[in-house]
Amino acid sequence: MQDMNLTGLFIDMMGRLGLNYEFLATGYEAQIWRDGFITTLYLVAVTIPVSLIVGLIFAACLTSGRLWLSAPVRAFVELTRNTPTLVQLMFSFLVLNTVVSNMLGGAQNNPLSPFFWVVAVVGLHVAALHAEAIRGGIEAVPSSMIEAARGMGFSQFEILRYVQIPLAFRSSLPAIVNGLISLVKSTTVGNAIAVSEITYASIMVWTQRDNVVEMMIVLLAFFSLINFVVARIGQWVERRLAIPGYGL
Amino acid sequence: MSMTATQAPKTTAKSSRVLRSIGFVAMPLLVVIWSLVDLTLGKELVEWIPYLASGFSMNILITICAVTLGTTAGVLLGLMQLAPYWFVRLPAQIYVQIFRNAPALVLIFATTYIFPFEIVVAGNYLPFPDWVKAVIGLAILSSAYIAEITRGAVLSIPTTQWEATKGLGFSRLQALRYVILPQCVRRSLPPWMNVASSMAMGTSLASLVGVHELMHAATDASTAVRRLDFTIIAYVVVMAAFFTLCYPIARLTRRLEQRFNAG
Repeated sequence: MQDMNLTGLFIDMMGRLGLNYEFLATGYEAQIWRDGFITTLYLVAVTIPVSLIVGLIFAACLTSGRLWLSAPVRAFVELTRNTPTLVQLMFSFLVLNTVVSNMLGGAQNNPLSPFFWVVAVVGLHVAALHAEAIRGGIEAVPSSMIEAARGMGFSQFEILRYVQIPLAFRSSLPAIVNGLISLVKSTTVGNAIAVSEITYASIMVWTQRDNVVEMMIVLLAFFSLINFVVARIGQWVERRLAIPGYGL
Repeated sequence: MSMTATQAPKTTAKSSRVLRSIGFVAMPLLVVIWSLVDLTLGKELVEWIPYLASGFSMNILITICAVTLGTTAGVLLGLMQLAPYWFVRLPAQIYVQIFRNAPALVLIFATTYIFPFEIVVAGNYLPFPDWVKAVIGLAILSSAYIAEITRGAVLSIPTTQWEATKGLGFSRLQALRYVILPQCVRRSLPPWMNVASSMAMGTSLASLVGVHELMHAATDASTAVRRLDFTIIAYVVVMAAFFTLCYPIARLTRRLEQRFNAG
């Protein structure tokens, strides 16, 4: 009851400013809209770890010095960075998804949802950005440090795991945070294949209510807020991980 | 020990050289070979190529307009952010903060649905086409990025230079015009090219608001032909087109960055 009054008060106040938020009082549209926010947050929360893990693997392949590992990853990274995410998503959804469906004998057997494809495509796209950032960090680790580790009997993998990646992660953190911010923004392409994230939900509302400006204000505020939080967490991690004297 | 240390960069240099030469031609080559292997597919593709090309010319048009508009507005906004008066500085800062964080798609939707489909100029109804709205959407986004690039570039010039120009009797604007900005152009060229290339890729989003561009053309073509292999090849053509547009820009950017870092 208290909640209803607050919603009513908000609608009334916004109405006086000339902004139409009346759909909030209806059950159905407000529900779609709230689900849209949750879907976007869920999408972001799932895609960030995917992009970080894959980005780390890519960076390790790129700096391995083995051509059979680095060449395919390099090709994938260049292809991903230089083609639009939307085209990759449509290609994956229309072509790869159909191929998977045919292999499994019909679309009804296909367990891959549009949500999965958005996570996969956006995650891999941003992983390519991370890979370049981490690669730069790995190459910036002084060679004397690697030689010292080798002298102490570390294997190639141990050097990567205990020396290069911890240092590279710290120096590439600002670039990684930039990548994550572009990840948050890229999740909106999901609306091309009817993933009901916030942009899609907003379109549903404004086609009914014709209140584009009002929805845009909320959308811009929402994305500013998520990106602000992501940037703040990035700063916090950076401060937590800083090694005094290492100059990072 | 030293063998492995010197070998690693050599193999990556070799791999990148091989990839660089393959990179430009791999996808067009794939399209050509596939069309020749399956001639019925090749015939369909040849029929649809002019349609796809007309779509891609729209992408290039939108990119050029959006980047031009965005650069002009962005440089002004970047300089406004550095203005000594708060009433000039603050609006620019708010604009940049809001639109830098906005997804390109949201801005394209905003401009498409908020602006009317025709405008009245001196009693005449002029159509306001969707592609122009997409240009404005992308220009808003790129102007926010470019404002930050401009601000960063101006701030990266040592303050002693400002003091020196003051000593030489330049006004603040003259110093900016003749001393500071010419140096900024060089420093901000690589990030500016990154923005230009991401705008070029962003033009594909205009297909979602019904602008006839490459992505839209490919969807039309694949629904008209209704063959899975044609759908695949159509999207490979789309990717190849964007790749041949953006990859040279990316390579040039990296080369410029390396040269500036060295020099």
